[in-house]
Amino acid sequence: MTGGHRRILVVEDDPETAGQLMEQLTTSGYQVDLATCGNEALRRGAASDYAVITIDRMLPDIDGIAVMRQLRDDGVAAPVLIISALGEVDDRVRGLRAGGDDYLVKPFSFVELLARVEALGRRSETVVKETILRVGDLAIDLVSRTASRRGRDILLFPREFQLLEYLVRNQGRIVSRAMLLQHVWDLHFDPSTNIIDVYVGRVRRKVDGQQAYPLIHTVRGIGYLLRAPR
Amino acid sequence: MLLAKTLTSSTFKLALIAIGTFGMIVSAIFSYVYLSTASYVRARSDRANMTEYLILQGAYARSGREGLIALIERRIADRSFADNVYLLADPSLAVLGGNLKAWPSTVTAASGWAEFRAAQPSPDATHRPLLRAMLETFPGGDRLLVGRDISELDSFTEQIKAAVISSGALIFVLAAVASILVTRRTVGRIEQINATSRAIMQSGLDQRIPLRGSHDEWDRVAENLNLMLDRIETLMGEVKQVSDNVAHDLRTPLTRMRGRLEKAYDSQRSGEADQTLIGDTLADLDAVLRMFSSITRIAQIETQARTDAFRTANLVEIASEVVELYDAAAEQDGTRLTIVGDPEVKVTGDRDLIFDAIANLVDNAIKHGRAGGQVVVANESIDGRPVISIADDGPGIPAGEHEHVFKRFYRLEASRYTPGNGLGLSLVAAVARLHGARIELLDNAPGLKFRLWFAAPSG
Repeated sequence: MTGGHRRILVVEDDPETAGQLMEQLTTSGYQVDLATCGNEALRRGAASDYAVITIDRMLPDIDGIAVMRQLRDDGVAAPVLIISALGEVDDRVRGLRAGGDDYLVKPFSFVELLARVEALGRRSETVVKETILRVGDLAIDLVSRTASRRGRDILLFPREFQLLEYLVRNQGRIVSRAMLLQHVWDLHFDPSTNIIDVYVGRVRRKVDGQQAYPLIHTVRGIGYLLRAPR
Repeated sequence: MLLAKTLTSSTFKLALIAIGTFGMIVSAIFSYVYLSTASYVRARSDRANMTEYLILQGAYARSGREGLIALIERRIADRSFADNVYLLADPSLAVLGGNLKAWPSTVTAASGWAEFRAAQPSPDATHRPLLRAMLETFPGGDRLLVGRDISELDSFTEQIKAAVISSGALIFVLAAVASILVTRRTVGRIEQINATSRAIMQSGLDQRIPLRGSHDEWDRVAENLNLMLDRIETLMGEVKQVSDNVAHDLRTPLTRMRGRLEKAYDSQRSGEADQTLIGDTLADLDAVLRMFSSITRIAQIETQARTDAFRTANLVEIASEVVELYDAAAEQDGTRLTIVGDPEVKVTGDRDLIFDAIANLVDNAIKHGRAGGQVVVANESIDGRPVISIADDGPGIPAGEHEHVFKRFYRLEASRYTPGNGLGLSLVAAVARLHGARIELLDNAPGLKFRLWFAAPSG
């Protein structure tokens, strides 16, 4: 993937979950360190420079939120993904307010975790201040909030533009439905129906309809991916 | 058994404290009565004695020893002085005159009051009379004793004393008996409650505490406890219903998954078939997990009064966002989704939860409404209360089913096979309860109309 270091600290006390996480993240090209308790996490977190830190909320010694707060106090700026079996809205809000950058509820699919880790990792890279983003023949203008393909304007509602912008900003990375709800609609709830799919479907018709090649791809079981043909 | 409980009960201990306090007050009053009566009687007798003494002293001063002896003899002969005792003795205590045979050995003081027993019993009594006398030693050394028999006075005060003590004892016994009876009654009622509690713990929630019909505080306690038991029984029934439904709704996908895996286990490995199988199983697992999170979310909303997250918001804004989110879904369904009503309706509550509730209702309306029909979300303020209604023009719900739709997992037979887990309206109901909102189900003729009456916004 794009440059930058790809070193991750996983804080997880359950050996099997930790093993799975390490294996999968290693397969995806990350260098993974494991901490099995809060104290170890504090030690390792302060010692090395990580791209992302994932912290389980329920640790044997210190609460995950407290670990994260301590890391922040110690000047560790790496983005933190909180993983918890407590799925309530309150907990999410508390986790994020305490300095967490994202929140994932157990049980989760690995693709979802990877998508979020990728999105967080990108944040620590330098953000390019461009007003026009391009993917293949698609160009979106962040100032005039318009999109076009091969110079032909695509008519989008504001929310549809936001959705497209989020996909473009994450081009080449999988974006889950929950991530879309969270970042495009600012919602932390789980609609039981397929409204996100329908919404993306509409944007996709507008963006990909009657074009040379599609940009928005469905990733089965998880979400979407926007990328230019190779 | 009951008596033992009565004696150890706190009511009885309180009664004992009351009896003790009361007893001390009664004793104090009675002692005062006794002491003041005794001293009054004695003072009267002493005054008479003193008068007699002064007369005799005057006689001695005027006419000397002989004059006094003559007066004493006149006195003794006079029957109206029968109760009095006189004695005049020379310095060697030899009797000069009077009705005592010898100077009493216990009396040694030179002057002042003295009490002593007579040397021999009176003719009409078996005991030796008690005498009280005034003493005087004249300048010549002669000693005078003027007194009277106070045996009767003494027995009078003794009688008062006995009456005081016995009535005190009687009061104590009566109070003790009364407090045992009262305590027994109290303990009896408490025992009934205890017995019912034990019966409930042993056999089940169908027992109730018997009422006496006296409408006293015990009946009220029993009534309230019975109401609480009714409520618990209802809740237990609901929990059982829910767990039955959960079991049913979980068993279906779990059975499906198990069957699928079993079949795959027995057959040859095949990349493509395995891929499909794993994909389907994951989808089923996701459905199960989603159901779990819905259940915990509803439980969380129901058990926590999260009113601290309440803010004042514009209901129309929240509804607009829902409508926007579901716009694409409605379009796909060929449903016209519109929002009408006031531009601003203030509501106090948890924005995320209100969004969730409206989203569920809109979702339902699109899903169960008529394909090609319309769904209308209307916001208005009625009597200061924020009201939102979501109406479709579909087949609606039979009037008889209206009350059931908010139950967890309740699904109309007709919609058993459409997507959804039957938890959406339970969530709406939980959110409404948290906000003190009333839900109305109306016939939209045709279709169904949900109406949420929120409480008037604060501040």
